[in-house]
Amino acid sequence: MDPQQPEPVSYLCGDCGAENTLKTGDVIQCRECGYRILYKKRTRRIVQYEAR
Amino acid sequence: MENPGGSSLPAFLELQRTRVLCKADAPTHTEGFQYSGAFAAMGVDTSVSVEKFCSNFKIEINRLTEEDMEFDMIGVDASIANAFRRILISEVPTMAIEKVFMVDNTSVIADEVLSHRLGLIPLDADPRLFEYISDDVPNERNTIVYKLHVSCEKGSQRLTVKSGQLEWLPEGSQLTMASPAQSGDNQRTYTSFGQSQQNTSERPLGVKYKDITIARLGPGQAIELEAHAVKGVGKVHAKWSPVATAWYRMLPEVVLLKEIKDGDAEELVKKCPVNVFDIEDLGNGKKRAVVAKPRACTLCRECVRPTDDQVELRRVRDHFIFTIESTGALPPEVLFTEAVKILEEKCERVISELS
Amino acid sequence: MPPATSAPDAPVAEGDAEAPPVPTYRSLAAPVSNPVDKFALLPAFLKVRGLVKEHIDSFNYFITKGIKNIVRANNRIEARSDPGIYLEYKNIYIGEPSVQVDFRVETITPHFCRLTDRTYSAPVIVDVEYTVGKTHTQHRKPSFTIGYMPIMLRSYACVLNGKDEAELARYGECPLDPGGYFIVKGAEKVILIQEQLSKNRIIIDTDNKGRVIASVTSSTHEVKSKTVICMEKEKIYLQLNQFTKAIPIIVVMKAMGIETDQEVVQMVGRDPRYADLLYLSIQECATERIYTQQQALQYMDDKVTYAGAGNIKDGRSKLILRDVFIAHVPVNNGNFQPKCIYTAVMLRRMLDAILNSDTFDDKDYVGNKRLELSGQLVSLLFEDLFKTMNTYAVDRMNKNSDMARSSPLDFSQLIMQQDVITSGLERAISTGNWDIKRFKMHRKGVSQVLSRLSYMASLGYMTRITPQFEKTRKTSGPRALQPSQWGMLCPCDTPEGEACGLTKNLALMTHVTTDQEEGPLRNLCFSLGVEDLSLLSGEEIHAPGSFLVMFNGLILGKHRQPQKFANNMRTFRRSGKIGEFVSVFVNEKQHCIHIASDGGRVCRPLIIADKGRARVKEHHMKELRDGIRSFDDFLRDGLIEYLDVNEENNALIALYEHVDQDGVQRSSITHIEIEPMTLLGVVAGLIPYPHHNQSPRNTYQCAMGKQAMGNIAYNQLFRADSLLYLLVYAQRPLLTTKTIELVGYDKLGAGQNATVAVMSYSGYDIEDAIVMNKSSLDRGFGRCIAMKKYTVTSEKYGDGISDRIAKPQRNKDGVLIKQNMRV
Repeated sequence: MDPQQPEPVSYLCGDCGAENTLKTGDVIQCRECGYRILYKKRTRRIVQYEAR
Repeated sequence: MENPGGSSLPAFLELQRTRVLCKADAPTHTEGFQYSGAFAAMGVDTSVSVEKFCSNFKIEINRLTEEDMEFDMIGVDASIANAFRRILISEVPTMAIEKVFMVDNTSVIADEVLSHRLGLIPLDADPRLFEYISDDVPNERNTIVYKLHVSCEKGSQRLTVKSGQLEWLPEGSQLTMASPAQSGDNQRTYTSFGQSQQNTSERPLGVKYKDITIARLGPGQAIELEAHAVKGVGKVHAKWSPVATAWYRMLPEVVLLKEIKDGDAEELVKKCPVNVFDIEDLGNGKKRAVVAKPRACTLCRECVRPTDDQVELRRVRDHFIFTIESTGALPPEVLFTEAVKILEEKCERVISELS
Repeated sequence: MPPATSAPDAPVAEGDAEAPPVPTYRSLAAPVSNPVDKFALLPAFLKVRGLVKEHIDSFNYFITKGIKNIVRANNRIEARSDPGIYLEYKNIYIGEPSVQVDFRVETITPHFCRLTDRTYSAPVIVDVEYTVGKTHTQHRKPSFTIGYMPIMLRSYACVLNGKDEAELARYGECPLDPGGYFIVKGAEKVILIQEQLSKNRIIIDTDNKGRVIASVTSSTHEVKSKTVICMEKEKIYLQLNQFTKAIPIIVVMKAMGIETDQEVVQMVGRDPRYADLLYLSIQECATERIYTQQQALQYMDDKVTYAGAGNIKDGRSKLILRDVFIAHVPVNNGNFQPKCIYTAVMLRRMLDAILNSDTFDDKDYVGNKRLELSGQLVSLLFEDLFKTMNTYAVDRMNKNSDMARSSPLDFSQLIMQQDVITSGLERAISTGNWDIKRFKMHRKGVSQVLSRLSYMASLGYMTRITPQFEKTRKTSGPRALQPSQWGMLCPCDTPEGEACGLTKNLALMTHVTTDQEEGPLRNLCFSLGVEDLSLLSGEEIHAPGSFLVMFNGLILGKHRQPQKFANNMRTFRRSGKIGEFVSVFVNEKQHCIHIASDGGRVCRPLIIADKGRARVKEHHMKELRDGIRSFDDFLRDGLIEYLDVNEENNALIALYEHVDQDGVQRSSITHIEIEPMTLLGVVAGLIPYPHHNQSPRNTYQCAMGKQAMGNIAYNQLFRADSLLYLLVYAQRPLLTTKTIELVGYDKLGAGQNATVAVMSYSGYDIEDAIVMNKSSLDRGFGRCIAMKKYTVTSEKYGDGISDRIAKPQRNKDGVLIKQNMRV
């Protein structure tokens, strides 16, 4: 296993909608408004669906 | 109805053979006579032969528009008419969106639901120009690619995404596969088009109706996706069905058993909700009921209630009023000829299997 | 306004009130005056009250009044060694819902609590006065938090209270959500309505041996006890847990100071039949040679079960008589007279029942039931915890002063040290176990998780009433539909199987009362001519023509003109001088007037009618439609009043305004229903044309309607339920009922309208199987979304090792490497 770089992941604030990038050990809190619920931002990875 | 056999059946048998009677409580003589020798003892041959069929069979077109048609199919058995109906619904192929590659969807609609909605959008593409897709990669002969990229600006009004915003990509997919590009390699996309689809048909391969709501976006929401349409048939999924629906009904025949006059006539006219009957003025203030529009009859049987001794409702056993509503890929009359071709193919297959 | 029914030659009804107009051909043929469309009152009612008003009302009562009463009753604690060291609660109130994070107070919203598994609670704040140090210097400390209390959504203490739709949306809350529940550790908990027998009322019944018994369950703030008087072998005894044997009732009377048998009989009543029935009991007392109070008490002392700490039996029985025997009847300054009279009335009722079996009480009668709501249950819990907290504080203070420390602590530090209240309330509501030793209460399943399967399921949960006991009893009595349920409890909505008929649901317009202050009402009764009990002799009490006046189960006195008294009381109520939920019930059979202001009675609003003519007229309804008049104005103007089940017995309620028919004279009608459909509950109200169905079908539908998939709330996609089923294309039913519109079901559809053809299809259609059209399914019919919650906690293991959040690992082809992933 290669040493994994802690990749920052983007989150959206549940209150103000601001984008936050969190790294390992970061406090889970919005930097703009201090709200404590963050949602993971959807990545642009392509997901394939059947149109049925 | 003329009987081609020469010698004719007695009137009551002829009626039973060619008509379904609709009594107040239930229809009678619904079965019909299948056996060719049913009336052989009376010297009547009811067998089916090509010559008989050719002289009897008739098609009369009543209405034809871009979207739907109504025609009379006369001189066939119900099983044949039904075969056409079923083939139209489930076996005539069309193009429909089958795969959706979702890049971004932050709307309230779930990815799966959005894909499903896209699949149901009728496309303006002639399926005869395409092949069925097999296991191989999608190419310009079996796949049409569409792109949808809409977003609603923050602070703006709510946005409705319509089918017209689907953009046709004649050059094939623009999305690259996730694998990191090796240096110098061409980026692999989800399709491998040998050439552009620009000239496959006269019209661009867009959607048939541009005002179908796909989704609604709130401020800050966006949809980005690519949709691949392929050829298919309705029995796999209803989205490939070329008709909204196709149906037939037997020709109604309304017969006045006796002369209905004056008050009774007016009562009869009033009874019918679709105005099958009309009043004929005989002069001297005398009136008589006549059957004016028998085709309008819906068989509600109001006129044979409470007694069915004045009016008789019948249906002609081999006369079908056929309606086809197209979803738009092909005009209705073409759909019907396609259906005929498919039935022909099937018959040939049976014959070749048997021989 | 002359009534349209009266033709010119018919006498006008208003003039001669006593005799109704003789119907003539013309008066009968005349068109009935346009019935006023009173339906608009219903939405107006629900607008002021909300769908789960009983829950919210009871909790509001608790946080505004109840909690203050509890603290006022226990407002002072002092050290045993030195009464100079004390703490006194001056005031108590509930703050704004908040949490403490790192010594900082942050206000919270209900939705935040749901998402973060927190408890939606608010601080309980007290103002205290206490002494510090040896010098006993007085200190005052305002706004002192003694704990956190879970807050009911949409109550006065909730941030959602009085907010409009847009504001609710900003809080992430669904405007259609009725509230009335708690959020504890992220879970929505409902405290179910508990049904129980009335407290402090005499119930005449037979026990399982077939003996006639009169029982009273007394309940006051201090004591709870059960007193049973029963008849065995034609002799009457008192049964009390505190005595080893049943005590002859005459002995009890003598022990309470009624030494002569004549006086006993006079108190019960002079009818010789009573004396006949009492004869053997009196004789038994005589054979035991008990003639004086002293002898009677001695006799009873021998039978005491537990002799108390000092094992001294002497005088115990007098204390038991004072404190336990019919405990809710007060003994002031050793005056046992009220208790004697109460016992005599119990005896009289019992003897009446023996003479005439019609006068037995029906335990299943809704008027004999009380509903306990979240406010009362939380109040019991809080009282217990508050007292516990204070005892802890006193104990610690005593320990401290026993060790004779130089600087004694002050109480303000002690009451803060344990989070008795916070954790006690939270634990009880989240587990549903109400274990209160102080009140001998051990109940399980009091609170349950609010079902969010569908919007209807959560609404149905809020109106559910669970029975207290007798779940396993096979008897049909309590399960049967009671005529007195009419309009109060839904006749359709009950589960099938085990709990059938025991678990019930409230009807649409039912209101459950909260306690009301007794003092002013008592005074009013006396000013309206009630003769005080203490001034009456035994003979006078039951004088013919006079009625006993009972107030919340206590005998207040008697009145000579019962009807006039009742009418006066009602007039006061209609004019708003006394609470609208006070009930006045004249019981002709028992010669009693019952005034009730206690909490837990079910009642419902009705339109008052004068001789069959509704007071609500078209112009009132117009004002309502124009928004000038609210439902409360109808109440205030005396057009509408609340009747409880008992008072309904004094009323004749018509469904609609009508002329004389079915042998009922219009002039005898006293009330008119607001809307007959309100006799059904919220869930049964969804059924279209329920009166055309076989009755159990409606009951089945009530159970099934809650299972329908659809949309559960406007904020459904922002909720984090562990399992959520949604319908993609939910529709409003093509056929809506009035209830559907009232409860907002048309805004949160569950289900889809389908075309169904009924025909046989070679067995695929057996029972209720259906064959579906494939292309409908392809086109999205019945399409649904299932969402499931998975939780992962990010843990810290020490040594600097901790879980971390990272992207899923992929190889260079973009394929997930699954070896270091778990599901």
